[in-house]
Amino acid sequence: MDHMSPVEKGLRGIALSAVVLFFMFPIFWIVLMSLQTNETILRSPPSMVFEPTFRNYIAIVTGKLDSNVASMDITFMRNLWNSILLSAGSVAVALLLGVPAAYAFARHKFRGSEEVAFTLLSFRFAPPLLVLLPLSLYFQQIGLANTYIGLIWVYQLICLPLILWIVRGYFEDISPDLEHAYRIAGHSWLSTFRRIALPLAGPGIAAAGLLAFIFAWNNFIFALVLASADKQPVTVGALAFVTASGIQYGQIAAAIVLSIAPTLALALYAQRYLVEGLSLGAVKG
Amino acid sequence: MPELRIENLTKRFKNETVLDGVSFTVAEGETTILFGPSGAGKTVLLRCIAGAVDPEEGRITIGGNDISDVPPEHRGIGMAFQNFALFPHMTAFDNIASPLTARRWSREKIQEGVEQVAKLLKIGHVLSHPPRALSNGQKQRTALARALAASPEILLLDDPLRNVDAKLRFEMRLELPRLLADQGATVIYVTQDYKEAMALGDRIAVLSGGRIAQIGTPEDIYRRPASVEIARHFGDPTINLLDVVPEKDGGGVFTRLSDQRVPLDSGLEAAVGRDCVLGLRPEALRFSDSPDGIPVEIEAETPFNEKTVTLVVTARKREILISRPAGTAAPGSGTARIEVDATDALLFDRATQERIAPQHRGGGKSEAAA
Amino acid sequence: MSKAMLNLQAVDKFYNPGSVHEVHAVQGLDMAVAEGEIVALLGSSGCGKTSTLRMIAGFEEVSKGSIQLAGRDIHRLAPAKRNVAMAFEGYSLYPPLTVQENIAFALKSQSLAKDAVARQVAEIAQLLEIEEVLERYPSSISGGQQQRVSLGRALIRSADLHLLDEPMGQLEPQLRALLRGRIKHFIKERGLTAILVTHDQTEANALADRIAVMEEGVLQQFDTPANLKNRPANLFTGAFIGEPPMNVFDAEVRSEAGRLVFGLGGGVTLDYAENEFSLALRAALLKKPQVTIGVRPHAVRITDEGAKAEITANQWLGDQTHIAARFAGGAIVSVEHDRTRYAKGETIGVALASEDLHVFDTRSGMAISHGGALA
Repeated sequence: MDHMSPVEKGLRGIALSAVVLFFMFPIFWIVLMSLQTNETILRSPPSMVFEPTFRNYIAIVTGKLDSNVASMDITFMRNLWNSILLSAGSVAVALLLGVPAAYAFARHKFRGSEEVAFTLLSFRFAPPLLVLLPLSLYFQQIGLANTYIGLIWVYQLICLPLILWIVRGYFEDISPDLEHAYRIAGHSWLSTFRRIALPLAGPGIAAAGLLAFIFAWNNFIFALVLASADKQPVTVGALAFVTASGIQYGQIAAAIVLSIAPTLALALYAQRYLVEGLSLGAVKG
Repeated sequence: MPELRIENLTKRFKNETVLDGVSFTVAEGETTILFGPSGAGKTVLLRCIAGAVDPEEGRITIGGNDISDVPPEHRGIGMAFQNFALFPHMTAFDNIASPLTARRWSREKIQEGVEQVAKLLKIGHVLSHPPRALSNGQKQRTALARALAASPEILLLDDPLRNVDAKLRFEMRLELPRLLADQGATVIYVTQDYKEAMALGDRIAVLSGGRIAQIGTPEDIYRRPASVEIARHFGDPTINLLDVVPEKDGGGVFTRLSDQRVPLDSGLEAAVGRDCVLGLRPEALRFSDSPDGIPVEIEAETPFNEKTVTLVVTARKREILISRPAGTAAPGSGTARIEVDATDALLFDRATQERIAPQHRGGGKSEAAA
Repeated sequence: MSKAMLNLQAVDKFYNPGSVHEVHAVQGLDMAVAEGEIVALLGSSGCGKTSTLRMIAGFEEVSKGSIQLAGRDIHRLAPAKRNVAMAFEGYSLYPPLTVQENIAFALKSQSLAKDAVARQVAEIAQLLEIEEVLERYPSSISGGQQQRVSLGRALIRSADLHLLDEPMGQLEPQLRALLRGRIKHFIKERGLTAILVTHDQTEANALADRIAVMEEGVLQQFDTPANLKNRPANLFTGAFIGEPPMNVFDAEVRSEAGRLVFGLGGGVTLDYAENEFSLALRAALLKKPQVTIGVRPHAVRITDEGAKAEITANQWLGDQTHIAARFAGGAIVSVEHDRTRYAKGETIGVALASEDLHVFDTRSGMAISHGGALA
């Protein structure tokens, strides 16, 4: 198996390139679009030859969009800040709640523990719209609508199950003997959790946190319904470019590039953890 | 150092009873071996004592104090695990120091304590390594050092030599008694290797199906096993087991193998006429030129360390293993005669599989004299 | 017995040749196995024994050299064409077949009558104590039983060569000695040629006529069990073979007033009359003042005289006693067949007879002498 003929190597290379091309093409195309004006984007037939321009990016960063028809203010940079705040906040809360819960589910099998754990996971399966409508009513009544706290709370539906299930798998993989050994050595339960379980599940916790961050970042529907303009993340903010005077494809593309850049960078940087976390979650789930 | 007393310990997992009313006492400073096949409940018993598993019933006392409700960190126990259970994210030093940091020793005292126990176990040169950089033997020594570091009163060793190679196991077997004696700790040592049990135990408790089948000195277990099963577990090659029915005449109690008379202990009168199993250790048999010997056919000769083991069959196709020191002369093939050293013969009841002990007149058991 | 059944000539095995991860797993191996002989390949993991076995079976390509079996070159043949039967370490039983069918499957190619197959299976099942599980499926029997089935499937075939990979590692300890005897009898009775691969020297000693000791891809010694023990070719074999292992000490040799003196550590000396050693050996020893001497634990005699040693452990195992003592700045181990009553801390005398002395070149590890004669 480890000896490949040059022909095999060539074919393998071609196949891999095809796959990469297939998956990377949308991103590549978006990057191209973001460097064009609406006119060159919409010409027919489409062409890869154009004069690149940073107008779209400049418009987004400065918040001033001057088209040939009118001038409008956009709040994209604020949306970006919202995205960061909401995602990071949600992940932080989810880690705080989810990691101890995952440990409990991994180590203490009690009557109904599997059911509780599964119920938590099932929140991921439920169509978000199902809970959204009643939730938006409640939120308005208790004053959580259009607040960061309210959004972060709802984002737990995304983050918490993910972290719970992935981290639980990691905790289960740690030999209980290690913890027994540390306790028998004379350490309390809490210090065993902090000194043994947490560091050893560290990579798993990091992977789960990253994944949760990406999922939270990409969320659209919760924020669309529950947040008004000043609390909206980039996913919802991009809608602003669909204006009465036409769809600003160039700006949308630039906005998308800017909004996926952080998660893409994060994913590439922590690729190994992510794959590990995802596959472990899959196996254990 | 206090004594450790286990009283009527019972543990069930779901519907399976893993420990079934286990009671025994380990005198202070003594080493008791828990011996048994896998699944006998040895490890669970050890974990109950350590506090890692909660028993359903029973009491565990150390020096008279009931520790059943004491959390593991306050039981004052040291434990070495079969899989070593070294903390992978700490150096060997920090591993060994973990019982000392828990006791809030000063930095200098910890340094001193770790170095002392590391020197004892000859791992001083690898203290800065993480576990993954240690050889198997060094891991095992580090695990032992960690268990010993705080000089615990009770030491639990869960098959610590299982995962090291034969040479290291042999070395450690000779070294351990001195280490344990220096500590003066009360020790429970779990093993599946009968040689380890015989070599290291002041007493051996044989566990079978969650119960203690026999408890006694190595000599008790080897020379006076309570059942066929225990006799089969102690000894390599395994004891020969032959179905017999003892008889009696003017010459005393005896039985026949291939029509030759094999005398038995005169105290075994109670066994006459019963269906029995005769247990003959391979080293209690020898080749002989005597016409009274049992005629056999030699099947195969298999050298076994410093012994030679021969497989022979009697005229009735009964297989018998005979062992003798290597280098001593014996017929290598064909037919031969063998002789039985009857003083070492064991007799078991075939139905109950329990040993029939010789009863001698003049009161009491003659066992003690054996 | 004289005709070579299997012949390995200058066999090399490279993994990942040409790359930085190149491993020379087997190095220039020459080995001939006679017809009807049982040979053991013995060594620790990574010594090349399994690579050798897999090359003979055809699961691994021979990088260099040739293999002949029953007069045919087989190293280029497909495994199925080599007429070799094999028992795998991982058992490799067919899960959908019963134990009975698994064993009978090995006879498929011989197109035997049904009752002949049944008879042979019954016979091997009795030999291996698996009669009770013949109707069961592999997944429902214990590891030890699976290993016995795997052995049975290999032994029942008629083939030019039987390869047994770690055949008894998982067997129940109580059965091992008996099955060793039975299997050896079975193989010898039928005149089968067999190679077993094992890391367990007890198994190799018990079964094999000759043992090939391998280490780091190199054949260290290929000899009878008795010669491996009494005439080890080098320090590696000497220390590797034997349980408990050989006692080893560094020593300085000198001649003193008609006596040959070995100075060990801790001020201990062993001295012998010169005539206990051959002239040639004496000359050789005095030319190499730094040597390593080895003495088997069984040859260590405890006497009232001799060099002093302090008992550190005395362990009775039922049929033998292992005694360890502080000696010559290190430790010495003695094994007695009877029970001895020495107490810990007691001082004893240790006598090592010249005939039990193995002397090795400290630097190269090669044997210089066994007893009074050159190696």
